[in-house]
Amino acid sequence: MHDGTWTRTCNTGVATASVTRDSALVAALFCLLISATAIAGPRERAKTIHDRLAGVPPSESVLSSMADQVAGITGTPMDAAYQAMDNPNFYNVTLKNFVTPWTNREQDAFAPLNDYVATVIGMIRDGDAFNTIFSADVLYIGPGSLPPYSNSNNNHYEQMESQGIDMMSGLQRVSQSGMNGLPLSAVAGVWTTRAAAESFFIAGTNRAQFRFTMMNHLCNDMEQVHDVKRPPDRIRQDVSRSPGGDSRLFLNNCIGCHSGMDPLAGAFAYYNFNEMTGSIEYTPGVVQPKYFNNDANFEFGFRTTDDSWFNYWRDGQNQFLGWDPLLPGSGFGAASMGQELANSDAFARCQVKKVFRAVCLREPEDVNDRTQIDTVMVPSFKAGYDMKRTFAEAAVYCMGP
Amino acid sequence: MLCAKAQPVHPAPKACLEIMLRNACVAAFSALLVAACGGGAPTTENPVTSVTPPSTYNGPPPQTADIQNFKLNVWDNIQATNRCGSCHAQGGQGNGFFARNDDINLAYEAANLVADLNMPENSLMVTKLAQGHNCWLTDDQACADIMTTWIEGWAGAAALGGRQITLSAPTPASPGDSRSYANADVSDFVTWVHAPILTTYCAGCHNSQSATSQQPYFAEADANVAFEAAKAKMDINDPAASRFVVRLGSEFHNCWSADCAADAQTMETAIANFAGTIPITQLDPALVNSDALRLIDGTIASGGNRYESAQVALWEFKTGVGTTAFDTSGVDPAIDLQLIGDVQWFGGWGITINDGRAQGDTTSSKKLHDLITATGEYSIEAWVVPNNVTQEMARIVTYSAGDNSRNFTLQQTLYDYNFRHRSVTTGLNGDPALSTPSADEVLQATLQHVVATYGPVEGRKVYVNGNLVTQADPIATGSLVDWQDTFAFVLGNEASGDGLWQGTLRLVAVHNRELTPAQITQNFDVGVGEKFFLLFGIEDIINVPTAYILFEVSQFDSYAYLFAQPHFITLDANQQPQGIPIQGMRIGVNGAEVQISQSYANLDDQLDYTQFGPLGQPLATIGAVIPLERGPSDDEFFLTFDLLGSESYVRTDDPPLVITEGDLPAAERIGVRTFDEINATMSAVTGVSTEEFFVDSTFQMLRQSMPAVEDPAAFLSSHQVAVAQLAIEYCNALIEDQGTISTAAYFPGFDFDETPVNAFDTPAERDALVTPLINNMVGIGITTQPAATDVEDELAYIGPDPGGTERPDNLINRLIAGGTDTRSIAKGTCAAVLGSAALLVQ
Repeated sequence: MHDGTWTRTCNTGVATASVTRDSALVAALFCLLISATAIAGPRERAKTIHDRLAGVPPSESVLSSMADQVAGITGTPMDAAYQAMDNPNFYNVTLKNFVTPWTNREQDAFAPLNDYVATVIGMIRDGDAFNTIFSADVLYIGPGSLPPYSNSNNNHYEQMESQGIDMMSGLQRVSQSGMNGLPLSAVAGVWTTRAAAESFFIAGTNRAQFRFTMMNHLCNDMEQVHDVKRPPDRIRQDVSRSPGGDSRLFLNNCIGCHSGMDPLAGAFAYYNFNEMTGSIEYTPGVVQPKYFNNDANFEFGFRTTDDSWFNYWRDGQNQFLGWDPLLPGSGFGAASMGQELANSDAFARCQVKKVFRAVCLREPEDVNDRTQIDTVMVPSFKAGYDMKRTFAEAAVYCMGP
Repeated sequence: MLCAKAQPVHPAPKACLEIMLRNACVAAFSALLVAACGGGAPTTENPVTSVTPPSTYNGPPPQTADIQNFKLNVWDNIQATNRCGSCHAQGGQGNGFFARNDDINLAYEAANLVADLNMPENSLMVTKLAQGHNCWLTDDQACADIMTTWIEGWAGAAALGGRQITLSAPTPASPGDSRSYANADVSDFVTWVHAPILTTYCAGCHNSQSATSQQPYFAEADANVAFEAAKAKMDINDPAASRFVVRLGSEFHNCWSADCAADAQTMETAIANFAGTIPITQLDPALVNSDALRLIDGTIASGGNRYESAQVALWEFKTGVGTTAFDTSGVDPAIDLQLIGDVQWFGGWGITINDGRAQGDTTSSKKLHDLITATGEYSIEAWVVPNNVTQEMARIVTYSAGDNSRNFTLQQTLYDYNFRHRSVTTGLNGDPALSTPSADEVLQATLQHVVATYGPVEGRKVYVNGNLVTQADPIATGSLVDWQDTFAFVLGNEASGDGLWQGTLRLVAVHNRELTPAQITQNFDVGVGEKFFLLFGIEDIINVPTAYILFEVSQFDSYAYLFAQPHFITLDANQQPQGIPIQGMRIGVNGAEVQISQSYANLDDQLDYTQFGPLGQPLATIGAVIPLERGPSDDEFFLTFDLLGSESYVRTDDPPLVITEGDLPAAERIGVRTFDEINATMSAVTGVSTEEFFVDSTFQMLRQSMPAVEDPAAFLSSHQVAVAQLAIEYCNALIEDQGTISTAAYFPGFDFDETPVNAFDTPAERDALVTPLINNMVGIGITTQPAATDVEDELAYIGPDPGGTERPDNLINRLIAGGTDTRSIAKGTCAAVLGSAALLVQ
């Protein structure tokens, strides 16, 4: 029970002193800590692995066990990393905060738990091939004690979070098409989760879904893939070719992004987030009206007729994104386009770099880091698209000297 | 919209007129006629020609209706001595007495010799004026346009309903010589442009390793990568037109000195020097290319088919120089507009208002009052390009006396068009305005056709791009009796200067009738600006006589051309090509393929005569915006093909971008735990659940006040305050036995019920409190954590100080001195550790 007397005392004097002392102590301990970081044995490395993966310090027993693994006595450092990931906080804290910014336009890590986040956590927990993230018929939901999953609200996941449901043990894999009513052919992994639809299929032109995917999953915003030399034949009619009466803006800026983006975003032509129902909607065979917004801006622009898509970036400078030669580079619908993106080198490298940042708490900064990423982690990731292994590899690499 | 019948051998819908082989004796297949139809109004009416038609004619009456039409539309306008009457009346010095005033029937006979009712703009009466023959205005073309309008009025439905377009075979020409990047050396680029300018001044952004990296990476350290990126930004055939130069000189984009003009000149010189290293060569002989031609080699495709029967004022802004925009409606008095302030002519017909206006005088503006109040209805029609969607109450077209009084105004407010109209049911200032729905964001900063109409039945309406976009006018209609005839007609501002609109006007017209939706659609479909049909010869490639690729080409704005509606066509109707492949069509300008905006690069089709329509076989519905280089009179265009018939060109695409990552400054190897991690950590080390009521409510309140990123440099004092508050809440729960581990089990041997003096008077008692805190929160035997003795000294040092280095003024002593109780001291001690860097840093 809360001690009201103490609280009053705390508020009038002691707490102030205490907080002041806290600050002084933080500074003092911070200095001690920094001075201590140069020395790192198995226990220190084990603690770093645990801190970075689970987000919390290990218990003494776990620390000792992991230290033995790090030291090679009872296993390997990778075993220690996997042991750290047995801590529920790897899922409930680390992965949740890792994924949540991807699921909203503000890239807000404080956003409520949602089906996009839960699905990614579930896929990582179960070792799903992560390159199916935009194509698989998968959804993760919580236990039956929660309000049932709804296609029209986020209550299920908000309750899961507020009740502190452990996602390591509580998430269940289900068929997405079986939950949200989309036909199987329309399901495209996290793209067609309710949260992604609410954030990126809402209003607008559906280009947001593509752009945020580029940012979050290929680690390139549109400025980094700007290529004015691609044919503009699939740029929609809503893009003015003479903004404010100056076609130079189009010819030097707009065209650089839209020439590649619009042909790919054609894959989303049948999707919309209906704000009235709060649900994703899919209109097979009927292009959403949003694709014809402001279609008089340039009548000789491309007019979308179906959900076909083309990857013009397979030619020109954006070949550097590393497209899978075994895929055709064109198709119909979101799922096949999702495979195109998720099987690129850029996708793999992006996932690895994101994990590296999340675990090492810094950017890859020198040749050692780049070698680790390019010759160890990316090939390892592409061998099985196992994100959990990537987390482990990053933690071991950054566990300290 | 142009619409015509198919060639005779390929029938098409009856509604369309015909395309036919013309004059076989001149050249077997030299010309093709396309007779266009407007699809417009089913009825015709005599156009308005002047406010007060002259009534001085006293000769014999017109013998036919056509002679009466001639009199009303032409003769009344030209007979005055300040027009044609002084020379072309009977006995005058002119050649042909079509302005004679003694017998209208004889004037009609003379006029028929100098007028072409099928193609009014080709009339001798028009072409003579265009050549400078006694134009009564300062712009010969304006006189020619006015005369065309009069003759069109005479021709009536025949001229208004459609006009013939003759597709003539152009004289074959080969694309000119030019410099090509194929012959450039990267080292020269490095010497002149890359090293001295790009890597010096542009690497802050246009470099892949920049923190604010932004494509194109023309400042990349790797010169080959930079060269590929820079190609599209340099014009090696016209360095001054390079994007690099324009960006500095005209757009002031990150000039490196205080003088952008000087920087632009430096850049231009550098590009010119680099270009000077590239030899001028002929077009790559391996290319499969068409013949070349300029705009003026084409056939004018625009100008007809507008619905103009009720048009009382028209500005097409063709003049291009000077300070007068002529009213070429042919309805006297002409409201010629004076361009005042910063108003520029716009390439391809138009004016751009930056900070000024185009204003008519009140005397001629009175024409609008007189003609509109006579009918009680009107329409304002304009092709506009708003500069932006941020301007408010910005007058596009206004007939007013300033900010407080008007007859009508079409204006912009953000994404809306507002139509203000004065009548007995609205205010003297035309309020309330009828606006397009804001949520629809109808107004866009791009070329739009907007028509505001007023009629006595349904009141005001606004049409944008042919679509009615306003709801029913909520204000009842009313008489225009209150209109004032002393106002001035102004474009882009109020006469007072209060209400600047920034944008481009490419055509403005006023009609004294409420245009019908069909008439509005008709005018929208006609488009704006001068358009040409260009015939790119390919007969030598596919061995089909008179084979061409037909494009409709116009000057899109001051900086580009629009290529649209590509067709394959033969001027010889007997040619029936079939199965000839055509792939990868690109547009070239001045001897080189254009680097960007090649909309037809993915074209993949076959020539098939069965698909022939009025203009031949359509190849695409999309258009291409091609940068203007030397200007519409000099730029020479041609087409290239990756595959055409049996000839092909193997194209080498740009290489993939190669990004060489550089080292970053060494970052900290530690980080700060973030909000959820802090919460989970405190829970883990105290054994208090995150769901404990007070802990949870405190955390929810403080969650967004805690660190959101791991970077230690981003850690703020406010973060520490929030962390301390949460630590206190956890420690409160721990000491008050609310955790999953009992207080007694967590602190074995410590008596929380003792007074502070007794509870902390021995080292053992202090250890009983402090040691569990250190073991659980700091950890045991972890050298990267603070040493336990150091922490203990900070918290609870007791005893002599032999070395003088410990801290006798420890936390517990200070809290005891504060006079609080044992539990509070324990909570404070606990919170000091829990909220410290030992937990916060990972």
